[in-house]
Amino acid sequence: MTATSLRPASRPATAQRRRPASPLRRLRFWARLVTGLLIAVVFLGPVLYVVLISFETPAHFLTHPMTPPSGADLSNFSKAWTGADLATELINTVIYSVVASALSTLLALLIAFPLARKLVRGHRQLYTLLVVGLFLPLAYIPLFIEARMLDLYNNMPGYIILHVGFGPNLPLGVVLLYAFIQAVPKELDEAAWLDGTSYLTYLLRVIVPLTRPALLISFLYGMLQVWNDIIGPVVLFAGTSTNLFPITRGIYYFFGLNESLYTIFAAAVTIASLPLVIVFAGTQRQLIRAAVAGSLKG
Amino acid sequence: MWSGILLALAVYALFGLVPAVANTVVSFTNYALYPGAPVNFTGWSNYTAMFTSERPGFMQALVATVVFVTAVTIAQNVFALAVAHRLVRDTRWNGLLRVLVFLPIVLGVTIVGLVWILFFEPGQGPAASLWGLFGAKSAFFGSDTLAFPLVIGVQVWQNIGFSALVFLGGLNAIDPQIYQAAEIDGVTRWRRLSKITFPMLAPAVTVNVLLAVVGSFTTYNLIYVLTAGQYGTMTLGMLSFTAAFTDSNLGYGAALGTVLFLMTFIVALPLMMYLRHREARLLS
Repeated sequence: MTATSLRPASRPATAQRRRPASPLRRLRFWARLVTGLLIAVVFLGPVLYVVLISFETPAHFLTHPMTPPSGADLSNFSKAWTGADLATELINTVIYSVVASALSTLLALLIAFPLARKLVRGHRQLYTLLVVGLFLPLAYIPLFIEARMLDLYNNMPGYIILHVGFGPNLPLGVVLLYAFIQAVPKELDEAAWLDGTSYLTYLLRVIVPLTRPALLISFLYGMLQVWNDIIGPVVLFAGTSTNLFPITRGIYYFFGLNESLYTIFAAAVTIASLPLVIVFAGTQRQLIRAAVAGSLKG
Repeated sequence: MWSGILLALAVYALFGLVPAVANTVVSFTNYALYPGAPVNFTGWSNYTAMFTSERPGFMQALVATVVFVTAVTIAQNVFALAVAHRLVRDTRWNGLLRVLVFLPIVLGVTIVGLVWILFFEPGQGPAASLWGLFGAKSAFFGSDTLAFPLVIGVQVWQNIGFSALVFLGGLNAIDPQIYQAAEIDGVTRWRRLSKITFPMLAPAVTVNVLLAVVGSFTTYNLIYVLTAGQYGTMTLGMLSFTAAFTDSNLGYGAALGTVLFLMTFIVALPLMMYLRHREARLLS
Protein backbone atom coordinates (compact mmCIF):
# COMPACT_ATOMS: atom_id res chain seq x y z
CA MET A 1 0.00 0.00 0.00
CA THR A 2 2.64 2.49 1.01
CA ALA A 3 4.67 1.83 -2.10
CA THR A 4 1.78 2.67 -4.42
CA SER A 5 0.58 5.72 -2.49
CA LEU A 6 4.02 7.32 -2.93
CA ARG A 7 3.72 7.24 -6.69
CA PRO A 8 2.55 10.38 -8.51
CA ALA A 9 -1.18 10.23 -9.15
CA SER A 10 -0.69 11.24 -12.76
CA ARG A 11 0.78 7.83 -13.64
CA PRO A 12 -1.80 5.35 -12.42
CA ALA A 13 -1.07 2.95 -15.27
CA THR A 14 2.49 2.13 -14.16
CA ALA A 15 1.48 1.99 -10.55
CA GLN A 16 -1.17 -0.54 -11.35
CA ARG A 17 1.13 -2.60 -13.52
CA ARG A 18 3.79 -2.79 -10.80
CA ARG A 19 1.54 -3.46 -7.87
CA PRO A 20 1.76 -7.28 -8.02
CA ALA A 21 5.54 -7.07 -7.77
CA SER A 22 5.47 -5.01 -4.60
CA PRO A 23 5.86 -7.80 -1.95
CA LEU A 24 8.80 -9.12 -3.91
CA ARG A 25 10.26 -5.64 -4.03
CA ARG A 26 9.87 -5.23 -0.33
CA LEU A 27 11.59 -8.57 0.18
CA ARG A 28 14.44 -7.41 -2.02
CA PHE A 29 14.74 -4.19 -0.04
CA TRP A 30 15.05 -6.16 3.20
CA ALA A 31 17.49 -8.57 1.63
CA ARG A 32 19.67 -5.65 0.57
CA LEU A 33 19.46 -4.08 3.99
CA VAL A 34 20.38 -7.30 5.77
CA THR A 35 23.26 -8.14 3.43
CA GLY A 36 24.54 -4.57 3.63
CA LEU A 37 24.48 -4.64 7.42
CA LEU A 38 26.15 -8.06 7.39
CA ILE A 39 29.02 -6.72 5.28
CA ALA A 40 29.38 -3.71 7.58
CA VAL A 41 29.39 -5.84 10.75
CA VAL A 42 31.81 -8.44 9.37
CA PHE A 43 34.34 -5.88 8.17
CA LEU A 44 33.98 -3.14 10.76
CA GLY A 45 32.99 -5.22 13.80
CA PRO A 46 36.37 -6.66 14.85
CA VAL A 47 38.14 -3.33 14.27
CA LEU A 48 35.49 -1.46 16.22
CA TYR A 49 35.73 -3.98 19.06
CA VAL A 50 39.45 -3.27 19.44
CA VAL A 51 38.86 0.49 19.43
CA LEU A 52 36.14 0.09 22.08
CA ILE A 53 38.13 -2.05 24.51
CA SER A 54 41.05 0.36 24.23
CA PHE A 55 38.85 2.81 26.19
CA GLU A 56 38.09 0.32 28.96
CA THR A 57 40.00 0.13 32.21
CA PRO A 58 41.87 -3.19 32.53
CA ALA A 59 39.84 -4.04 35.65
CA HIS A 60 36.53 -3.46 33.90
CA PHE A 61 37.67 -5.50 30.91
CA LEU A 62 38.64 -8.46 33.08
CA THR A 63 35.43 -8.55 35.10
CA HIS A 64 32.83 -7.53 32.48
CA PRO A 65 34.50 -8.11 29.13
CA MET A 66 31.39 -7.81 26.99
CA THR A 67 29.75 -4.75 28.56
CA PRO A 68 30.48 -1.28 27.23
CA PRO A 69 32.95 0.83 29.18
CA SER A 70 31.54 3.00 31.95
CA GLY A 71 33.35 6.02 30.57
CA ALA A 72 36.18 6.88 28.22
CA ASP A 73 39.37 5.90 29.98
CA LEU A 74 42.48 7.24 28.29
CA SER A 75 45.08 5.65 30.56
CA ASN A 76 45.55 2.75 28.10
CA PHE A 77 46.65 5.18 25.44
CA SER A 78 49.22 6.92 27.59
CA LYS A 79 50.55 3.57 28.83
CA ALA A 80 50.77 2.20 25.29
CA TRP A 81 52.37 5.40 24.00
CA THR A 82 55.20 5.30 26.52
CA GLY A 83 55.39 1.53 27.09
CA ALA A 84 55.68 0.55 23.43
CA ASP A 85 57.72 3.63 22.53
CA LEU A 86 55.19 4.38 19.81
CA ALA A 87 56.48 7.89 19.12
CA THR A 88 59.91 6.67 17.98
CA GLU A 89 58.41 3.82 16.01
CA LEU A 90 55.89 6.04 14.27
CA ILE A 91 58.66 8.43 13.23
CA ASN A 92 60.75 5.48 12.02
CA THR A 93 57.83 4.11 10.03
CA VAL A 94 57.11 7.46 8.41
CA ILE A 95 60.78 7.86 7.46
CA TYR A 96 61.07 4.33 6.06
CA SER A 97 57.86 4.34 4.08
CA VAL A 98 57.95 7.92 2.77
CA VAL A 99 61.63 7.97 1.79
CA ALA A 100 61.73 4.45 0.34
CA SER A 101 58.56 4.94 -1.64
CA ALA A 102 59.56 8.41 -2.88
CA LEU A 103 62.90 7.03 -4.05
CA SER A 104 61.42 4.02 -5.82
CA THR A 105 58.87 6.28 -7.53
CA LEU A 106 61.66 8.62 -8.64
CA LEU A 107 63.75 5.73 -9.97
CA ALA A 108 60.68 4.37 -11.74
CA LEU A 109 60.26 7.74 -13.47
CA LEU A 110 63.94 7.90 -14.44
CA ILE A 111 63.72 4.56 -16.23
CA ALA A 112 60.10 4.60 -17.42
CA PHE A 113 60.54 7.77 -19.49
CA PRO A 114 63.42 6.64 -21.76
CA LEU A 115 61.76 3.22 -22.13
CA ALA A 116 58.34 4.63 -23.01
CA ARG A 117 59.99 7.00 -25.52
CA LYS A 118 62.10 4.14 -26.97
CA LEU A 119 65.26 6.21 -26.45
CA VAL A 120 67.49 3.23 -25.72
CA ARG A 121 68.26 0.10 -27.62
CA GLY A 122 66.61 -2.99 -26.18
CA HIS A 123 63.87 -0.92 -24.52
CA ARG A 124 61.36 -3.73 -25.03
CA GLN A 125 63.58 -6.32 -23.34
CA LEU A 126 64.38 -3.93 -20.49
CA TYR A 127 60.68 -3.28 -19.92
CA THR A 128 59.98 -7.02 -19.82
CA LEU A 129 62.83 -7.47 -17.33
CA LEU A 130 61.22 -4.87 -15.08
CA VAL A 131 57.73 -6.37 -15.39
CA VAL A 132 59.18 -9.71 -14.28
CA GLY A 133 59.85 -8.00 -10.94
CA LEU A 134 56.12 -7.97 -10.21
CA PHE A 135 56.11 -11.76 -10.06
CA LEU A 136 59.43 -12.50 -8.37
CA PRO A 137 59.22 -14.42 -5.12
CA LEU A 138 60.15 -12.38 -2.06
CA ALA A 139 63.51 -13.99 -1.37
CA TYR A 140 64.30 -12.83 2.15
CA ILE A 141 67.12 -15.32 2.71
CA PRO A 142 69.52 -14.01 0.02
CA LEU A 143 68.40 -10.48 0.80
CA PHE A 144 69.44 -10.99 4.40
CA ILE A 145 72.86 -12.33 3.32
CA GLU A 146 73.27 -9.44 0.90
CA ALA A 147 72.30 -6.91 3.57
CA ARG A 148 74.95 -8.26 5.92
CA MET A 149 77.63 -8.26 3.21
CA LEU A 150 76.89 -4.68 2.12
CA ASP A 151 76.54 -3.37 5.67
CA LEU A 152 72.87 -2.61 5.12
CA TYR A 153 71.81 -4.87 7.98
CA ASN A 154 70.33 -3.38 11.15
CA ASN A 155 70.56 0.26 10.13
CA MET A 156 68.19 2.90 8.87
CA PRO A 157 69.69 3.81 5.48
CA GLY A 158 70.14 0.11 4.73
CA TYR A 159 66.52 -0.68 5.48
CA ILE A 160 65.41 2.16 3.20
CA ILE A 161 67.72 1.24 0.31
CA LEU A 162 66.72 -2.42 0.45
CA HIS A 163 63.05 -1.48 0.32
CA VAL A 164 63.60 0.74 -2.72
CA GLY A 165 64.70 -2.22 -4.84
CA PHE A 166 63.01 -5.10 -3.08
CA GLY A 167 59.41 -6.11 -3.72
CA PRO A 168 56.98 -4.97 -6.38
CA ASN A 169 57.11 -1.19 -5.80
CA LEU A 170 59.70 -0.20 -8.41
CA PRO A 171 58.29 -2.46 -11.17
CA LEU A 172 54.75 -1.33 -10.40
CA GLY A 173 55.82 2.30 -10.65
CA VAL A 174 57.47 1.63 -14.00
CA VAL A 175 54.37 -0.11 -15.38
CA LEU A 176 52.05 2.69 -14.22
CA LEU A 177 54.29 5.51 -15.45
CA TYR A 178 55.06 3.81 -18.76
CA ALA A 179 51.38 3.89 -19.71
CA PHE A 180 50.97 7.51 -18.59
CA ILE A 181 54.08 8.78 -20.37
CA GLN A 182 52.96 7.21 -23.64
CA ALA A 183 49.85 9.38 -23.41
CA VAL A 184 52.00 12.55 -23.26
CA PRO A 185 52.41 13.89 -26.84
CA LYS A 186 55.92 13.51 -28.22
CA GLU A 187 55.72 17.02 -29.71
CA LEU A 188 56.29 18.34 -26.19
CA ASP A 189 59.64 16.53 -26.06
CA GLU A 190 60.71 17.97 -29.39
CA ALA A 191 59.69 21.52 -28.46
CA ALA A 192 61.65 21.31 -25.23
CA TRP A 193 64.63 19.80 -27.04
CA LEU A 194 64.67 22.70 -29.52
CA ASP A 195 64.47 25.17 -26.63
CA GLY A 196 67.57 23.58 -25.16
CA THR A 197 65.83 22.50 -21.94
CA SER A 198 67.92 19.96 -20.08
CA TYR A 199 66.68 16.39 -19.74
CA LEU A 200 66.16 16.50 -16.00
CA THR A 201 64.46 19.91 -16.04
CA TYR A 202 62.14 18.65 -18.74
CA LEU A 203 61.25 15.56 -16.70
CA LEU A 204 60.54 17.57 -13.57
CA ARG A 205 58.80 20.55 -15.20
CA VAL A 206 56.75 18.81 -17.88
CA ILE A 207 56.48 15.07 -17.33
CA VAL A 208 55.96 15.13 -13.56
CA PRO A 209 52.90 17.43 -13.66
CA LEU A 210 51.39 15.48 -16.56
CA THR A 211 51.82 12.08 -14.91
CA ARG A 212 50.84 13.18 -11.42
CA PRO A 213 48.05 10.54 -10.96
CA ALA A 214 50.45 7.69 -11.77
CA LEU A 215 53.16 9.15 -9.53
CA LEU A 216 50.71 9.54 -6.68
CA ILE A 217 49.40 5.99 -7.02
CA SER A 218 52.91 4.58 -7.22
CA PHE A 219 53.94 6.56 -4.15
CA LEU A 220 50.86 5.70 -2.08
CA TYR A 221 50.97 2.02 -2.95
CA GLY A 222 54.68 1.81 -2.21
CA MET A 223 54.22 3.62 1.08
CA LEU A 224 51.52 1.19 2.14
CA GLN A 225 53.76 -1.76 1.27
CA VAL A 226 56.69 -0.52 3.34
CA TRP A 227 54.46 0.68 6.17
CA ASN A 228 52.75 -2.71 6.55
CA ASP A 229 55.82 -4.88 6.09
CA ILE A 230 56.34 -7.23 9.03
CA ILE A 231 58.73 -9.88 7.68
CA GLY A 232 61.18 -7.21 6.45
CA PRO A 233 61.84 -5.69 9.88
CA VAL A 234 62.03 -9.15 11.47
CA VAL A 235 64.70 -10.22 9.00
CA LEU A 236 66.62 -6.98 8.51
CA PHE A 237 66.86 -5.72 12.10
CA ALA A 238 68.42 -7.53 15.04
CA GLY A 239 65.77 -8.70 17.50
CA THR A 240 66.77 -6.21 20.17
CA SER A 241 67.25 -3.01 18.13
CA THR A 242 63.92 -1.65 19.29
CA ASN A 243 64.89 1.94 18.53
CA LEU A 244 65.09 1.04 14.82
CA PHE A 245 61.78 -0.84 14.67
CA PRO A 246 58.94 0.41 12.54
CA ILE A 247 55.58 0.36 14.26
CA THR A 248 54.51 -3.05 12.89
CA ARG A 249 57.54 -4.75 14.38
CA GLY A 250 57.46 -2.66 17.53
CA ILE A 251 53.85 -3.37 18.31
CA TYR A 252 54.33 -7.09 17.68
CA TYR A 253 57.33 -7.06 19.98
CA PHE A 254 55.33 -5.15 22.60
CA PHE A 255 52.57 -7.74 22.36
CA GLY A 256 55.05 -10.54 22.99
CA LEU A 257 56.12 -8.85 26.21
CA ASN A 258 52.65 -7.92 27.49
CA GLU A 259 50.37 -10.64 26.30
CA SER A 260 47.95 -10.20 29.19
CA LEU A 261 47.54 -6.42 29.04
CA TYR A 262 44.84 -6.53 26.42
CA THR A 263 43.36 -3.07 26.84
CA ILE A 264 46.74 -1.34 26.63
CA PHE A 265 47.58 -3.48 23.70
CA ALA A 266 44.29 -2.58 21.98
CA ALA A 267 45.16 1.07 22.50
CA ALA A 268 48.54 0.52 20.82
CA VAL A 269 46.83 -1.15 17.85
CA THR A 270 44.37 1.74 17.65
CA ILE A 271 47.16 4.32 17.65
CA ALA A 272 49.12 2.38 15.03
CA SER A 273 46.19 2.10 12.66
CA LEU A 274 45.06 5.72 13.00
CA PRO A 275 47.58 7.25 10.55
CA LEU A 276 46.71 4.60 7.95
CA VAL A 277 43.00 5.25 8.32
CA ILE A 278 43.55 9.01 7.94
CA VAL A 279 45.72 8.63 4.83
CA PHE A 280 43.26 6.10 3.43
CA ALA A 281 40.27 8.36 4.07
CA GLY A 282 41.97 11.12 2.08
CA THR A 283 43.09 8.98 -0.84
CA GLN A 284 40.74 5.98 -0.97
CA ARG A 285 39.53 6.79 -4.49
CA GLN A 286 43.05 6.72 -5.99
CA LEU A 287 44.13 3.72 -3.93
CA ILE A 288 41.14 1.61 -4.86
CA ARG A 289 41.60 2.49 -8.50
CA ALA A 290 45.29 1.62 -8.23
CA ALA A 291 44.56 -1.73 -6.67
CA VAL A 292 42.36 -2.67 -9.60
CA ALA A 293 44.72 -1.24 -12.23
CA GLY A 294 47.65 -3.01 -10.58
CA SER A 295 45.87 -6.34 -10.70
CA LEU A 296 44.55 -6.14 -14.25
CA LYS A 297 47.90 -5.92 -15.96
CA GLY A 298 48.89 -9.24 -14.34
CA MET B 1 69.47 10.15 -19.07
CA TRP B 2 71.89 7.25 -18.89
CA SER B 3 72.79 7.90 -15.28
CA GLY B 4 69.10 7.73 -14.37
CA ILE B 5 68.60 4.48 -16.27
CA LEU B 6 71.70 2.90 -14.79
CA LEU B 7 70.86 3.97 -11.26
CA ALA B 8 67.36 2.52 -11.48
CA LEU B 9 68.61 -0.67 -13.09
CA ALA B 10 71.40 -1.09 -10.54
CA VAL B 11 69.03 -0.81 -7.58
CA TYR B 12 66.49 -3.11 -9.22
CA ALA B 13 69.11 -5.71 -10.16
CA LEU B 14 70.90 -5.63 -6.82
CA PHE B 15 67.88 -5.90 -4.52
CA GLY B 16 65.18 -7.23 -6.82
CA LEU B 17 66.73 -9.66 -9.30
CA VAL B 18 69.85 -10.87 -7.51
CA PRO B 19 68.07 -12.16 -4.37
CA ALA B 20 65.49 -14.00 -6.49
CA VAL B 21 68.23 -15.79 -8.43
CA ALA B 22 70.62 -16.18 -5.52
CA ASN B 23 67.99 -18.09 -3.57
CA THR B 24 68.70 -21.14 -5.72
CA VAL B 25 72.45 -20.74 -5.23
CA VAL B 26 72.08 -20.53 -1.44
CA SER B 27 69.87 -23.63 -1.49
CA PHE B 28 72.90 -25.71 -2.60
CA THR B 29 75.02 -24.59 0.35
CA ASN B 30 75.07 -25.20 4.08
CA TYR B 31 74.93 -21.45 4.77
CA ALA B 32 74.21 -21.05 8.49
CA LEU B 33 73.70 -18.06 10.76
CA TYR B 34 76.34 -19.02 13.30
CA PRO B 35 79.26 -16.61 13.21
CA GLY B 36 82.35 -18.16 11.65
CA ALA B 37 80.53 -21.18 10.27
CA PRO B 38 82.17 -22.29 7.00
CA VAL B 39 80.02 -22.06 3.87
CA ASN B 40 80.34 -25.01 1.50
CA PHE B 41 78.48 -26.25 -1.51
CA THR B 42 76.68 -29.38 -0.43
CA GLY B 43 74.98 -30.41 -3.65
CA TRP B 44 71.43 -31.67 -3.38
CA SER B 45 71.65 -32.52 0.31
CA ASN B 46 69.22 -29.77 1.35
CA TYR B 47 66.69 -31.18 -1.10
CA THR B 48 67.11 -34.83 -0.16
CA ALA B 49 66.96 -33.86 3.54
CA MET B 50 63.32 -32.82 3.09
CA PHE B 51 62.30 -36.45 2.73
CA THR B 52 64.26 -37.77 5.68
CA SER B 53 63.52 -37.71 9.38
CA GLU B 54 66.60 -35.52 9.75
CA ARG B 55 64.42 -32.52 8.87
CA PRO B 56 60.84 -33.35 9.79
CA GLY B 57 57.84 -31.30 8.79
CA PHE B 58 58.19 -31.08 5.04
CA MET B 59 55.34 -33.45 4.17
CA GLN B 60 52.97 -31.86 6.72
CA ALA B 61 53.86 -28.43 5.37
CA LEU B 62 53.20 -29.62 1.83
CA VAL B 63 49.73 -30.87 2.80
CA ALA B 64 49.01 -27.71 4.81
CA THR B 65 50.04 -25.55 1.84
CA VAL B 66 47.73 -27.42 -0.55
CA VAL B 67 44.81 -27.14 1.89
CA PHE B 68 45.56 -23.46 2.53
CA VAL B 69 45.79 -22.56 -1.17
CA THR B 70 42.65 -24.49 -2.14
CA ALA B 71 40.50 -23.20 0.73
CA VAL B 72 41.68 -19.58 0.44
CA THR B 73 41.28 -19.45 -3.34
CA ILE B 74 37.74 -20.86 -3.32
CA ALA B 75 36.46 -18.94 -0.27
CA GLN B 76 38.06 -15.65 -1.26
CA ASN B 77 36.55 -15.71 -4.75
CA VAL B 78 33.09 -16.91 -3.74
CA PHE B 79 32.72 -14.31 -1.00
CA ALA B 80 34.29 -11.56 -3.09
CA LEU B 81 31.88 -12.26 -5.94
CA ALA B 82 28.93 -12.15 -3.55
CA VAL B 83 30.15 -8.87 -2.07
CA ALA B 84 30.80 -7.35 -5.50
CA HIS B 85 27.37 -8.42 -6.73
CA ARG B 86 25.79 -6.77 -3.70
CA LEU B 87 27.80 -3.53 -4.02
CA VAL B 88 27.68 -3.06 -7.79
CA ARG B 89 25.04 -0.30 -7.78
CA ASP B 90 26.50 3.17 -7.27
CA THR B 91 24.61 4.30 -4.19
CA ARG B 92 26.05 6.29 -1.34
CA TRP B 93 25.78 3.37 1.11
CA ASN B 94 27.47 1.03 -1.31
CA GLY B 95 30.34 3.49 -1.66
CA LEU B 96 30.80 3.42 2.10
CA LEU B 97 30.61 -0.37 2.23
CA ARG B 98 33.23 -0.67 -0.51
CA VAL B 99 35.59 1.41 1.62
CA LEU B 100 34.89 -0.83 4.63
CA VAL B 101 35.58 -3.99 2.66
CA PHE B 102 38.88 -2.50 1.47
CA LEU B 103 39.90 -1.37 4.97
CA PRO B 104 41.78 -4.59 5.97
CA ILE B 105 44.14 -4.16 3.02
CA VAL B 106 45.04 -0.66 4.18
CA LEU B 107 45.46 -1.73 7.80
CA GLY B 108 47.95 -4.40 6.75
CA VAL B 109 48.70 -7.89 8.04
CA THR B 110 50.15 -6.85 11.40
CA ILE B 111 47.19 -4.76 12.52
CA VAL B 112 44.71 -7.23 11.01
CA GLY B 113 46.43 -10.16 12.71
CA LEU B 114 46.52 -8.44 16.08
CA VAL B 115 42.88 -7.33 15.80
CA TRP B 116 41.81 -10.94 15.29
CA ILE B 117 44.08 -12.16 18.07
CA LEU B 118 42.23 -9.79 20.40
CA PHE B 119 38.88 -10.85 18.96
CA PHE B 120 39.68 -14.53 19.54
CA GLU B 121 41.39 -13.99 22.88
CA PRO B 122 40.53 -17.23 24.71
CA GLY B 123 39.68 -15.67 28.09
CA GLN B 124 37.80 -12.42 27.53
CA GLY B 125 37.31 -12.00 23.77
CA PRO B 126 33.89 -11.79 22.12
CA ALA B 127 34.40 -15.10 20.33
CA ALA B 128 35.08 -16.81 23.66
CA SER B 129 31.90 -15.29 25.12
CA LEU B 130 29.94 -16.54 22.12
CA TRP B 131 31.43 -20.01 22.49
CA GLY B 132 30.63 -19.82 26.19
CA LEU B 133 26.90 -19.43 25.42
CA PHE B 134 27.02 -22.95 24.04
CA GLY B 135 29.10 -24.15 26.93
CA ALA B 136 32.11 -24.60 24.67
CA LYS B 137 35.67 -23.50 25.20
CA SER B 138 38.52 -23.13 22.76
CA ALA B 139 42.02 -21.75 22.62
CA PHE B 140 41.26 -20.53 19.06
CA PHE B 141 44.67 -19.56 17.58
CA GLY B 142 46.24 -21.86 20.17
CA SER B 143 44.03 -24.82 19.29
CA ASP B 144 45.20 -27.70 17.13
CA THR B 145 41.82 -28.08 15.47
CA LEU B 146 40.66 -24.46 15.11
CA ALA B 147 43.86 -22.53 14.47
CA PHE B 148 44.24 -23.50 10.81
CA PRO B 149 40.61 -22.82 9.77
CA LEU B 150 40.80 -19.48 11.60
CA VAL B 151 44.04 -18.52 9.87
CA ILE B 152 42.43 -19.36 6.53
CA GLY B 153 39.41 -17.27 7.51
CA VAL B 154 41.50 -14.24 8.43
CA GLN B 155 43.54 -14.51 5.22
CA VAL B 156 40.27 -14.53 3.24
CA TRP B 157 38.81 -11.66 5.30
CA GLN B 158 41.90 -9.58 4.68
CA ASN B 159 41.89 -10.06 0.91
CA ILE B 160 38.19 -10.11 0.01
CA GLY B 161 38.22 -6.36 -0.58
CA PHE B 162 40.83 -6.63 -3.29
CA SER B 163 39.13 -9.49 -5.16
CA ALA B 164 35.76 -7.78 -4.79
CA LEU B 165 37.16 -4.64 -6.43
CA VAL B 166 38.42 -6.65 -9.38
CA PHE B 167 34.98 -8.28 -9.70
CA LEU B 168 33.34 -4.85 -9.42
CA GLY B 169 35.52 -3.65 -12.29
CA GLY B 170 34.43 -6.69 -14.29
CA LEU B 171 30.75 -6.15 -13.49
CA ASN B 172 30.90 -2.49 -14.44
CA ALA B 173 32.52 -3.39 -17.75
CA ILE B 174 29.44 -5.35 -18.84
CA ASP B 175 27.36 -3.33 -21.31
CA PRO B 176 24.01 -2.49 -19.65
CA GLN B 177 22.28 -2.82 -23.03
CA ILE B 178 22.76 -6.58 -22.85
CA TYR B 179 20.74 -6.65 -19.63
CA GLN B 180 18.07 -4.41 -21.11
CA ALA B 181 17.75 -6.68 -24.13
CA ALA B 182 17.55 -9.74 -21.87
CA GLU B 183 14.88 -8.08 -19.72
CA ILE B 184 12.77 -7.26 -22.78
CA ASP B 185 13.08 -10.87 -23.87
CA GLY B 186 11.78 -11.91 -20.46
CA VAL B 187 14.93 -13.71 -19.35
CA THR B 188 14.65 -14.54 -15.64
CA ARG B 189 16.93 -13.01 -13.06
CA TRP B 190 18.70 -16.26 -12.31
CA ARG B 191 19.30 -17.04 -15.99
CA ARG B 192 20.61 -13.51 -16.54
CA LEU B 193 23.12 -14.14 -13.76
CA SER B 194 24.24 -17.51 -15.06
CA LYS B 195 24.11 -16.84 -18.81
CA ILE B 196 25.27 -13.22 -19.00
CA THR B 197 26.96 -12.02 -15.82
CA PHE B 198 29.07 -15.04 -15.03
CA PRO B 199 30.49 -15.66 -18.53
CA MET B 200 31.21 -11.97 -18.99
CA LEU B 201 33.17 -11.99 -15.73
CA ALA B 202 35.66 -14.52 -17.09
CA PRO B 203 38.61 -12.06 -17.31
CA ALA B 204 38.03 -10.94 -13.72
CA VAL B 205 37.84 -14.60 -12.63
CA THR B 206 41.18 -15.27 -14.30
CA VAL B 207 42.86 -12.38 -12.50
CA ASN B 208 41.31 -13.19 -9.14
CA VAL B 209 41.96 -16.92 -9.18
CA LEU B 210 45.59 -16.44 -10.21
CA LEU B 211 46.18 -13.72 -7.63
CA ALA B 212 44.63 -15.82 -4.89
CA VAL B 213 46.60 -18.94 -5.86
CA VAL B 214 49.97 -17.21 -6.17
CA GLY B 215 49.27 -15.03 -3.13
CA SER B 216 48.26 -17.88 -0.83
CA PHE B 217 51.13 -20.08 -1.98
CA THR B 218 53.79 -17.50 -1.22
CA THR B 219 52.58 -15.32 1.66
CA TYR B 220 53.09 -16.32 5.24
CA ASN B 221 53.28 -12.92 6.95
CA LEU B 222 49.77 -13.29 8.35
CA ILE B 223 50.55 -16.79 9.63
CA TYR B 224 53.70 -15.39 11.22
CA VAL B 225 51.65 -12.81 13.14
CA LEU B 226 48.78 -15.12 14.11
CA THR B 227 50.46 -18.40 15.08
CA ALA B 228 54.09 -18.29 13.87
CA GLY B 229 53.37 -21.65 12.22
CA GLN B 230 52.32 -23.47 15.37
CA TYR B 231 49.17 -25.59 15.86
CA GLY B 232 49.14 -27.10 12.40
CA THR B 233 49.51 -23.84 10.48
CA MET B 234 53.03 -24.48 9.17
CA THR B 235 52.84 -23.93 5.42
CA LEU B 236 55.87 -24.24 3.16
CA GLY B 237 56.52 -20.49 3.12
CA MET B 238 56.37 -20.37 6.90
CA LEU B 239 58.58 -23.45 7.18
CA SER B 240 61.17 -21.88 4.90
CA PHE B 241 61.19 -18.74 7.05
CA THR B 242 61.40 -20.75 10.28
CA ALA B 243 64.21 -22.96 8.97
CA ALA B 244 66.22 -19.91 7.95
CA PHE B 245 65.62 -17.41 10.72
CA THR B 246 64.64 -19.48 13.75
CA ASP B 247 66.75 -22.58 13.16
CA SER B 248 69.56 -20.52 11.53
CA ASN B 249 69.74 -22.85 8.54
CA LEU B 250 69.66 -20.48 5.57
CA GLY B 251 70.63 -23.16 3.04
CA TYR B 252 67.73 -25.44 3.93
CA GLY B 253 65.32 -22.50 4.11
CA ALA B 254 66.38 -21.42 0.64
CA ALA B 255 65.85 -24.96 -0.68
CA LEU B 256 62.31 -24.94 0.70
CA GLY B 257 61.81 -21.53 -0.89
CA THR B 258 62.93 -22.88 -4.25
CA VAL B 259 60.57 -25.86 -3.97
CA LEU B 260 57.75 -23.48 -3.11
CA PHE B 261 58.56 -21.28 -6.09
CA LEU B 262 58.62 -24.27 -8.46
CA MET B 263 55.33 -25.55 -7.05
CA THR B 264 53.69 -22.17 -7.51
CA PHE B 265 54.97 -22.04 -11.07
CA ILE B 266 53.84 -25.61 -11.89
CA VAL B 267 50.34 -24.92 -10.57
CA ALA B 268 49.92 -21.35 -11.77
CA LEU B 269 51.11 -21.73 -15.36
CA PRO B 270 48.67 -24.48 -16.52
CA LEU B 271 45.95 -22.77 -14.48
CA MET B 272 46.59 -19.52 -16.31
CA MET B 273 46.48 -21.28 -19.68
CA TYR B 274 43.24 -23.02 -18.73
CA LEU B 275 41.63 -19.78 -17.51
CA ARG B 276 42.64 -17.85 -20.62
CA HIS B 277 41.23 -20.67 -22.73
CA ARG B 278 38.03 -20.53 -20.69
CA GLU B 279 37.80 -16.77 -21.26
CA ALA B 280 38.06 -17.23 -25.00
CA ARG B 281 35.38 -19.94 -24.92
CA LEU B 282 32.92 -18.00 -22.76
CA LEU B 283 33.34 -14.64 -24.45
CA SER B 284 33.13 -15.83 -28.04
